[in-house]
Amino acid sequence: MIRYIVKKEIKEIFRDGRFKISALIVFVLAVVAFFVTFKQYKNTAAQYNEAKANERKVWESQGAKNPHSAAHYGNYVFKPKSPLSLIDQGVDKYTGISVFLEAHNRNEAAFSDAADQTALSRFGALTPDFILLYIIPLIIILIGYNIFSKEIEGSTFFILKSQGVVGWKLFIGKWLAALIPTLVIATVLFVVAAVALTSLNDFGLFEWKEILALYFVYVLYYLIFTNVVLFISSKVKKSGIALVINLVFWVLACFVAPKVASNLADAKYPYPSHQEFNEQIANESKQGLDGHNPWNEESQKLREQTLKEYKVDSVHKLPFNFNAFLMQKSEEYQAQVYAKHYGLLKEKAKKQGGVYKSLSTISPFLPTRFLSMAIANTDYESHWAFTEAAEEYRVGVQRFLNGTTEKNAKYNERYVAPADTWSKLEEFNYESPTFSEVYRQNTSVFSVLIIWFVFTAALLFFTNKKY
Amino acid sequence: MIKTTNLTKKYGDFTALDNLNVEIKEGEILCLLGANGAGKSTTINLLLNFIAPTSGNAYINGLDVVKNPKKTKPYLTYIPENLMLYPTLTAIENLDYFLGIGGKSFSKAELKTFLEEAGLQQEAFNKRVQFFSKGMRQKVGIALAIAKGAKVLLLDEPTSGLDPKSSNEFGELLKRMKNAKVAILMATHDIFRAKEIGTHIGIMKQGVLKHYFRNDEITLQNLEKVYLETMTLNNTAV
Repeated sequence: MIRYIVKKEIKEIFRDGRFKISALIVFVLAVVAFFVTFKQYKNTAAQYNEAKANERKVWESQGAKNPHSAAHYGNYVFKPKSPLSLIDQGVDKYTGISVFLEAHNRNEAAFSDAADQTALSRFGALTPDFILLYIIPLIIILIGYNIFSKEIEGSTFFILKSQGVVGWKLFIGKWLAALIPTLVIATVLFVVAAVALTSLNDFGLFEWKEILALYFVYVLYYLIFTNVVLFISSKVKKSGIALVINLVFWVLACFVAPKVASNLADAKYPYPSHQEFNEQIANESKQGLDGHNPWNEESQKLREQTLKEYKVDSVHKLPFNFNAFLMQKSEEYQAQVYAKHYGLLKEKAKKQGGVYKSLSTISPFLPTRFLSMAIANTDYESHWAFTEAAEEYRVGVQRFLNGTTEKNAKYNERYVAPADTWSKLEEFNYESPTFSEVYRQNTSVFSVLIIWFVFTAALLFFTNKKY
Repeated sequence: MIKTTNLTKKYGDFTALDNLNVEIKEGEILCLLGANGAGKSTTINLLLNFIAPTSGNAYINGLDVVKNPKKTKPYLTYIPENLMLYPTLTAIENLDYFLGIGGKSFSKAELKTFLEEAGLQQEAFNKRVQFFSKGMRQKVGIALAIAKGAKVLLLDEPTSGLDPKSSNEFGELLKRMKNAKVAILMATHDIFRAKEIGTHIGIMKQGVLKHYFRNDEITLQNLEKVYLETMTLNNTAV
């Protein structure tokens, strides 16, 4: 019986003009989205590799130079683009992909894609994740909104009943039939993405398990949508009304819920303004060690402590360069100030994320969006991980440079490090969180998505006495 | 083949069907006449077990429809007033689907034979039913009964909205079904068609079977007279 139902429903869906037109539109949109994103992705990849190589070359070819000048000369580090950002760009577009590392300052990530575009880009771009998250659910609605209501409208339901149709078999058959076209579209999109990714050799490490996990998350999302759409269709007698209710659900789930969640999170844990944040750091920095001012109170204290510790009466008699030592201590102090304030900011971001994630229960869109970005390594957590790695590297660079002076120069001597010094500095190699780390961090969100599926399936299959 | 004993259906204080006792044997056609709300469709819905009776029993082929909902289904075919079928499927595909739901599978050639027996023109077999008239759609319904080998046919206002020619063709089809020993219950407003094809005629009002005749007991003229009187007077049940 189920076979008959699936076969007949699929026939009806494929013969229906609405599905043909909408599937064609999705196909065209998907092709355009993939083409545009793939091109952008390849450009970014090429730019990343080139910039990374050039930056190192520039750093290494500074020639003989004072290490602290080199510290101020600075260098850029770049966030590698995750292979799955081809499917979901997440927040990468807005957060920037490179950080300028220099002495005394922790800089924000810069050069975001959005910064290179006009204000019109705020209205959104046609990307694969837009197709996956917004358009395919719309296709599910078009396929399924009348899958039950048409049986009532056409009196065919009564013939089915008089033929002895079994309710649960009818539900399973219709559910499978509504799902198959969606799965075909989603599978084709993912296979195309996977083939495109495997064709790129010089960019990121593509892992099949990651794309499979992403596919699984989206399939779950479509299962939930299918359950909801079929549930509404089974409860409403008129197809027109079923369509309107389904579209309202789509708007609420995909557009309203994320904005409500974001506003609530922001209202509960507001971020300080950029100016406030910078002022707090500047004020606290002033109160501590200043590597460029050996006569301030904190520097004097350090000087006295150090002389006492080494049991000497002059910094000239210290076994290292006190200027560089002071500079390093000052760096360490400033790094602590930055760590403290960025830590508070991160804590706030975490709390905002917590509120946002806890609201995953109001729409299946939210957990799917989180998981999609997390698996693609384009979420806010991955951005934090990159900026923290960059800061850690910056502190390490300063330690290396100050240490070089400390070891090789006397107090108040203008030290010039040989040209080969710079190549001894270890390169910045950022590695994105592994799949298992991402999974661990997002277990709760994944559970919410599973709960959504179980709840909607129960609603669909166990609350319909009519059939 | 079809039997009801004291069959009653109430919705709160409203009695949709009141103590109906009828029996339709093989090769008999009972035409139930009555205005809207007389209880004709309620009777059919009770026989189909779409709704549960308040009291009394309904039997198909000797089986209580409430106690044996699944066992009674293979014996019957139901054709509602507005049989729309699935518009994007062809006549053959519709027939194949409904038979498949009932657990029966036939070859394409067999399905064509059933449609032919039901009087559908050959060129319509592979056409989508969205272009079919009501008469053509009902022929697909009759083909379903033929293919199933149904012993009971339940028809709810099948001739309403049909042109005289199609109505006549449908009547002929029912006579053939009757000759094939099918028991038929037809709810209708059409006195002329009821007299023409029914072996028995009942007149219902407000859930009560007011009159029950064998066809040869009454002329068309008298039937019309009784019907009109029943609709205007307060009579008691037969």
